[in-house]
Amino acid sequence: MEDIICLEGISYSYYDKVAAVRDVNLTIREGERFSIIGANGSGKSTLLQIMNGLIHQTKGKYFFRGREISAQALKDKGFLRFFRERVGYVFQDSDVQLFCPTVLDELLYGPLQLEISEKEAQDRAFQVMQMLNIENLKNRPSYMLSGGEKKKVAIGSVLTMNPEVLLFDEPSNCLDPRTQCFLIELMFALNEAGKTLVIATHDLALIDDLHTQVALLSEEHTIEKIGDSEDILKDEELLLNVNLIHEHMHYNGPSIHKHRHSHYFFHKHQSSTSP
Amino acid sequence: MKNNVPPFLLAKPASYDYRQGQGKIKTSFLEKGIHHLADIIKTGYVQGETAALDNFFQKIDARIKVLFLLAFVIIVSLKKDILSEFLIGIFVALLVIISRLNLLSFYRRVLFLGFIFGFLISLPSACNVITRGEIILPILQLSKPYSFWIYRIPAEIGITREGIYGVAMLTLRVTNSLALSFFVLYTTTFPEIVKALKILRIADGFLMIITLSYKYIFIFARTVEDMHLAKKSRLAGQVSNAEARRWIAGRIAFIFKKTQLRCEEIFKAMLGRGFSEHVRIYGVGKLQPRDWAVSVVFSLMGILFLWI
Repeated sequence: MEDIICLEGISYSYYDKVAAVRDVNLTIREGERFSIIGANGSGKSTLLQIMNGLIHQTKGKYFFRGREISAQALKDKGFLRFFRERVGYVFQDSDVQLFCPTVLDELLYGPLQLEISEKEAQDRAFQVMQMLNIENLKNRPSYMLSGGEKKKVAIGSVLTMNPEVLLFDEPSNCLDPRTQCFLIELMFALNEAGKTLVIATHDLALIDDLHTQVALLSEEHTIEKIGDSEDILKDEELLLNVNLIHEHMHYNGPSIHKHRHSHYFFHKHQSSTSP
Repeated sequence: MKNNVPPFLLAKPASYDYRQGQGKIKTSFLEKGIHHLADIIKTGYVQGETAALDNFFQKIDARIKVLFLLAFVIIVSLKKDILSEFLIGIFVALLVIISRLNLLSFYRRVLFLGFIFGFLISLPSACNVITRGEIILPILQLSKPYSFWIYRIPAEIGITREGIYGVAMLTLRVTNSLALSFFVLYTTTFPEIVKALKILRIADGFLMIITLSYKYIFIFARTVEDMHLAKKSRLAGQVSNAEARRWIAGRIAFIFKKTQLRCEEIFKAMLGRGFSEHVRIYGVGKLQPRDWAVSVVFSLMGILFLWI
């Protein structure tokens, strides 16, 4: 598999003062499922925005298919189109992503921007609506949708552009269990269809389900470790260090006990004390 | 799910290369405007950072600073000679230096606003059409003077000495008032300013409005910036100004709707936490000796500027 995304020594700071990411080096291969995990504020979303060319690193270099992505490079019309039709970004807050009057307009916006014919754009929009089961919503404005519906429309609005790489920012956030299951199945299907998936999340269950390559960001905004999800999720000490699991006390029947907890699978009762 | 994936999603890009030489993307005026709006967040952040520094003026009680601001803005408006305005300007610059603020960025902002709201607005009054006096720079010579109702246009139109003096005075007044206001804003956190205003018996309703407005500006700027990024991520070419205007018009309607819903939620949350019309403050300490010392120095300086 060819390298599709390559970050070399990437650093970014907000307002020239607050460091968001520091000296990040990582490579993502074509067709890979890759996740960036870390606690809140560790710089996951910033990395995704850099990968989508929305903001540009203060230090380091970003290559997409061997071509350097910079503010200057994206000013070239041909290159911008080349890049945008290959990399799609699903935002964490679907509300900000959905800016067209209706759901159908949302799905058509991207393909029309790519100068795809209206007929083909319409075909794509209807096929995606069918796949996501949102055909009944096509004429609704985005503010009249539920959280799960908004997420589906946000994903659909990117899928109609048929990008090679899909960047998902906290995709499972605020979704009910059924919509989460739907999302995981969709991600598998897209990956099997050849799409490269990059997911920023702190939902360890999602990583476990998708079985991805993982880049673990520390609270110091640096890459702590890159590896297979199975290896990383096994390493409790590492996850504790980066604040992705924690120790807490709770009642278990009549006794109170303390254990490491992640809302995922670390539920190992180590010691018990009577209340 | 696999069977449901539409065939077009299985298609690979036709080529991994792109056509060069299709021209450059120009940043539209409206896009620049959105970037400037996003700068509000940065400005607010920088203001909060500088106000929280542990320097001399930052440590002075907000009540003293608010009173200092009010008193000196009145003094600036009362003075009628350029020298006094100039001396007040130097005094404020010294305070900025003592407070270790970034002098360059501070005066860039002050002078830019002073230029627009002081110099440009008062510039027409430098002409003898508005301010009578000795013409030192003739601009236009008419064949005869014209009179209309209470207005009279003289035959010779030009810039007068008295007019220039008036423009200089107004520009200096505006610049000094702005410098004083920015100085207090950059050395005092927003909650401290609100607390000081409350102690100075400003109406609670007014305080509530400015507090919520201040918060809303940041939420608004953040929302606009995020929406702009979301649009940018799906843009593959140049956007014409007309398209940008249409998009912004649509977004204004959307933000209005969203704001309305958010307002209702915030108000419910406020009611849920026992909101009443009274602003209650806490942690109001006694003035320290350094606060008294600074207020004495400011009072003496104020009297000095009034006297000269």
